Amino acid sequence: MASRRLTIAGTVLRRLIAALPAAGFGLASAHRRRAAFARAWRLAFEDLGPAFIKLGQLISVRPDEFSDELVAEMQSMQDAVPPLPAEAIRAVIRAEFAREPEELWATFDDVPVASASIAQVHRATLARAYTPVWGTELPTGTALAIKVVRPGAAESIRADVAIARSLAERVARMRFARRFDPVALLDEFASTVDRELDLRQEGRFADRFTFDFRDDPKVVAPRIVWPTSTARVLTMEFMTGWRLNQLEEARAGGVDCYALAVHGATAFMRQVFVYGRYHADLHPANLFVTPDNTIAYLDFGIVGFLTSEERMNITQVMAALVYRDPERALTYSANLGVHVPADRVATVREGLGELLGGTFRPDGTRDFAHFGLGFLKLLGENNVQIPSGYGLLIKSLATVEGVARALYPEIDIVETAKPFTTRILGQAMGDPARLHERIPAAIRAAMRELVA
Amino acid sequence: MTDDVMRFFAAWMLTHEVADEGLKAAVLRGDEGGADGMSGGPDAFVDGLAAMVAEEKENLKRDLEARARGEKVSIEAEPDPAFEELRFEVGELRGRLDNIESLLETLVRRADAGK
Repeated sequence: MASRRLTIAGTVLRRLIAALPAAGFGLASAHRRRAAFARAWRLAFEDLGPAFIKLGQLISVRPDEFSDELVAEMQSMQDAVPPLPAEAIRAVIRAEFAREPEELWATFDDVPVASASIAQVHRATLARAYTPVWGTELPTGTALAIKVVRPGAAESIRADVAIARSLAERVARMRFARRFDPVALLDEFASTVDRELDLRQEGRFADRFTFDFRDDPKVVAPRIVWPTSTARVLTMEFMTGWRLNQLEEARAGGVDCYALAVHGATAFMRQVFVYGRYHADLHPANLFVTPDNTIAYLDFGIVGFLTSEERMNITQVMAALVYRDPERALTYSANLGVHVPADRVATVREGLGELLGGTFRPDGTRDFAHFGLGFLKLLGENNVQIPSGYGLLIKSLATVEGVARALYPEIDIVETAKPFTTRILGQAMGDPARLHERIPAAIRAAMRELVA
Repeated sequence: MTDDVMRFFAAWMLTHEVADEGLKAAVLRGDEGGADGMSGGPDAFVDGLAAMVAEEKENLKRDLEARARGEKVSIEAEPDPAFEELRFEVGELRGRLDNIESLLETLVRRADAGK
């Protein structure tokens, strides 16, 4: 543990020293200095492996606590690592099933199709027909993706988290770190990673997603083959299509990118506002467009869950953005735990009003990312604590907007959200508890109007 | 229940279609209320909601006409969500059992190999 601590400190120090020329040895402008050191932190995190790559991804969704430069740098964090030899992956499969891959599947390809910090993916084919949790039977010979947790990944991540936590406890005692709580950040990180390391949780969410979108043939997710899945091995349908950086090929293949952009954004709204459970790790590698004009969601390692109360409050905040209503945004953000101190309310309301009025791009569409990340920053500047999950959701919505705009640059995600938020809030009017709470005031208002 | 609320307002709007000029104006504002047309604030939300209820009213009209012709209406053709949810839960349970069975087989195989 002591040697790992030294490795961590040494790597960070080496990268920071290497960034000194780019930072003008401290004499460059503040922005240039911050950008140079942010890049150094990102490179150090990539060098230090899975735990730090994941931690960087968490930092990338907290613009309220970290500088713009660091957040932007961490957003570009590459979670692609050299693949492990097939024998190491076969050893994991053998340890999980006490069988060779060829006994579990009709074929198993030793060459991986993807390799990330936590897991590696190999192709295989289904040996026997299987009826998944939802949907039609998968016939013998179905193409499969086998996701295998890299050997030692769980142990090294947990060890690194323990070291990082002890360092964070020291940092937390220092005066400059009062604005954010590094220990809470690491605890949030540890629970996210723990969930991600048990692939069965990802499989269960994928099944639930397939069920949630059962009435929508344009949105699909891989279905899980449970007899050959464990905590460290997940067997699922192999999805083929184009990634978002291959859109020219997709268009040439007859894909209607505008329809898919609208549909993809709508599908995400449905996850958040209707179901209260959503894919929280959307990036171009986790989405495919397929030749038959569908969107395939992959990799449900990081998901967000909302209680029905949170869902309703978030819908209200979104409605505030749609209908440009800062008061509504502040009221319902408070219900979500965003408590603005009394002496800051006027400042925050004014800043929020400016953000709501200034979220238009030159083409007249609204810019959710500008609003969402600006709102988080505004709260941070006013010393408002952001509850866990709130930043993640805003970042997820901003990512969905980015993904939709990659498909179709003129899409207005706020306009896409309008029917969802309006309908849900309209439907909520019939909630008996709400009626009980609001009807007396409504009757008083009606009477005032009648006697006026 | 919640869908019924929208239908309730739609039915109310249908029966007051001719009478309520104020509501008609709200629907119009809500329809036009894109990024440019919306003035913002709580009233804009009410306009947006009115436009949506008006849409629902048109659906209701179509359903009533279809029912008069003896056709099945869209709201009745939808599968019962509670039944669908139950089917999913059974499927999920089966998936878990498949998974546990496989785990047991592995344990047996390991035990046999250790003998």
